[in-house]
Amino acid sequence: MSTQDKVTIHQLPTGVPGLDEIVGGGLPEFSFNIIAGAPGSGKTTLAHQFVFANATPERPALYFTVLGESAIKMLRYQQQYSFFDPAKLPDSIRFINLSQVVLEKDLGAVLEEITKEVEKANPAVVVVDSFRTMVRKPASDMDLQSFIQRLALFLASWQATTFLIGEYAEDELRDNPIFTVADGLFWLRQTAERNSIVRKLQIIKLRGQDSVPGLHTFRITDAGVQAFSRTFGLTAYKRNPPSNRRLSFGIPELDKMLDGGVREGDSVLVAGSSGTGKSVLATQFIAEGIRRGEPGIVAVFEERPQAYAERATSLGLDLDTPQKDGKLEILYLRPLDLSVDETMHSILSAVQKIGAKRLVIDSLAGFEMALSPGFRADFRESLYRMIFALTGIGVTILSTVEVDESFTEFPFSTYSISFLTDDIIRLRYVSIDGQLRKIMVVIKMRGGNHAKDIREYEITSAGVVILGKRLTDYQGLISGIPVRSDQHGSTEEPSLDTGIEHKT
Amino acid sequence: MKTPLETRDLAHRLLTYEAVDSKTSEPVESVAIRVYEKLRQCICEFGGVASFQPLAFRALTQAKAEAPGLWAVQIAADGSLQGLGEFDSQPGEFEPQLGSYKDQTSEGGVVLVARILGLLLIFLGETLTFSLLRTAWPGAALDDRNSGHGRKA
Repeated sequence: MSTQDKVTIHQLPTGVPGLDEIVGGGLPEFSFNIIAGAPGSGKTTLAHQFVFANATPERPALYFTVLGESAIKMLRYQQQYSFFDPAKLPDSIRFINLSQVVLEKDLGAVLEEITKEVEKANPAVVVVDSFRTMVRKPASDMDLQSFIQRLALFLASWQATTFLIGEYAEDELRDNPIFTVADGLFWLRQTAERNSIVRKLQIIKLRGQDSVPGLHTFRITDAGVQAFSRTFGLTAYKRNPPSNRRLSFGIPELDKMLDGGVREGDSVLVAGSSGTGKSVLATQFIAEGIRRGEPGIVAVFEERPQAYAERATSLGLDLDTPQKDGKLEILYLRPLDLSVDETMHSILSAVQKIGAKRLVIDSLAGFEMALSPGFRADFRESLYRMIFALTGIGVTILSTVEVDESFTEFPFSTYSISFLTDDIIRLRYVSIDGQLRKIMVVIKMRGGNHAKDIREYEITSAGVVILGKRLTDYQGLISGIPVRSDQHGSTEEPSLDTGIEHKT
Repeated sequence: MKTPLETRDLAHRLLTYEAVDSKTSEPVESVAIRVYEKLRQCICEFGGVASFQPLAFRALTQAKAEAPGLWAVQIAADGSLQGLGEFDSQPGEFEPQLGSYKDQTSEGGVVLVARILGLLLIFLGETLTFSLLRTAWPGAALDDRNSGHGRKA
């Protein structure tokens, strides 16, 4: 059968930001879905969002409530969400309570009642909230599995997209015959990680289309459920081919060390101990981009955007004007219970909004601290996904990372993430002539030449200033405790080291 | 505590609308009972008896304190009213200065309906409450807020 002969399955918007991406574009029309999870995991809210996104007066939604939560209280709370449009009641959305039928009769009568209402209203969407409570009534003539099967057959025939909501614990997932009937199975989880709550969503099953596998974090806000795909909403994007364009730091000597600047689309790591000027360098990088017409994003975790901009002002860099002009966004990402996916969503939204070409993450340590404890274990893996996704769309990322100063080692990062970065610039203190001075060296530049030189620099009111020539009078500079060598003199131009082929 | 004028006004309008409507149908129940029944049906439909019955019971308790004529009235398990002998078939003459009816029996019906409406407004808010009322009284103009009390009689 050719592709032209295949039936077209239309997709309906889920009404949940981020979820369309996860389910593969939208929910299959006429599908029979189960939303399962523990109480308080957001099942009802998710179903409401779908209902409000799809119900029309011509093809309304029927929302059957059974036992459990009072419908009046449910509406009292649900109307607080911004998606809740009261004008849709009752013409587009009708709430029907079946508790009396459940209490007085059996599941057969419940099915009969649903059938009657569906035939009367010809709905596009049907929700039964919560079908699980019905099975708790003993001695029904019809068991739950049979009820679900007959309901699924009936509603599919009536061209209704259906959600059944049920409270299920994790261990009930296996070998549950009810789930075999469903076309889609959405599992919502909520776990406490130390003092943080982590919510995750999994599409365990979705017939007819590819969904993004794995656990996706989600959050419940005033706008309802918001899901954050593990693919960061970038499945529709094509990776940009590697670019040979160089991005300047606005520090001529450093650009020379980098053989003209950072390669566009690279991930750069600036590593150094406290006070070595990592943030200053990052600020200069972003400011130079703006000066050259390349919008930028700064993700800060340890200070507020205003403080960040004020610090830039003290270096003679104006970050206020580009913010007003929409050329720069300084994102302060709320600490303590973030997921990487959520952070990525904020960054990507900002990147897309202003067409950002440069991104500064200041710092990775702050980023890690801002995450919920449960996500910290996956920090490296999350960083990998994030960097791969962002550089793939042509964004050049500069991340700062604090490393403990050691006088026996020369570490690049405490996260063992150097493999994630294309370029590494290492800053460190050295003890020279009774002074604590600073040196800089380009450790790595994937796919390009870079200087081997160790250069001394200072942080002045003009930012990072690289001093004259490479240091040739000392040996053991990277140990931090160099010794004066017999060789004197210096080289004006940085000598370039040949890097390896640029990654694709 | 007396019923707020706005909900009394709304209750009065529902009773008046129902009384006018009854001229074209067979009026076998009192106007207040029929208003109550319509409220019961539409609330039970979306919220079930389990939602309506406690709401009605609470409203009746409040109403009894304000309208002694309701002393014999009770709420059955299915949410229906019992002991309704005191109600007139038509609402009595409304006294705008007092914001109430001249005779006590009509006053009781208005107060009970007003109390139910008041609880709906508290729990569901104005938009959803009026949406609910429009289901029960599709032709009635209920939420015109240009009157002196916020809603036109």
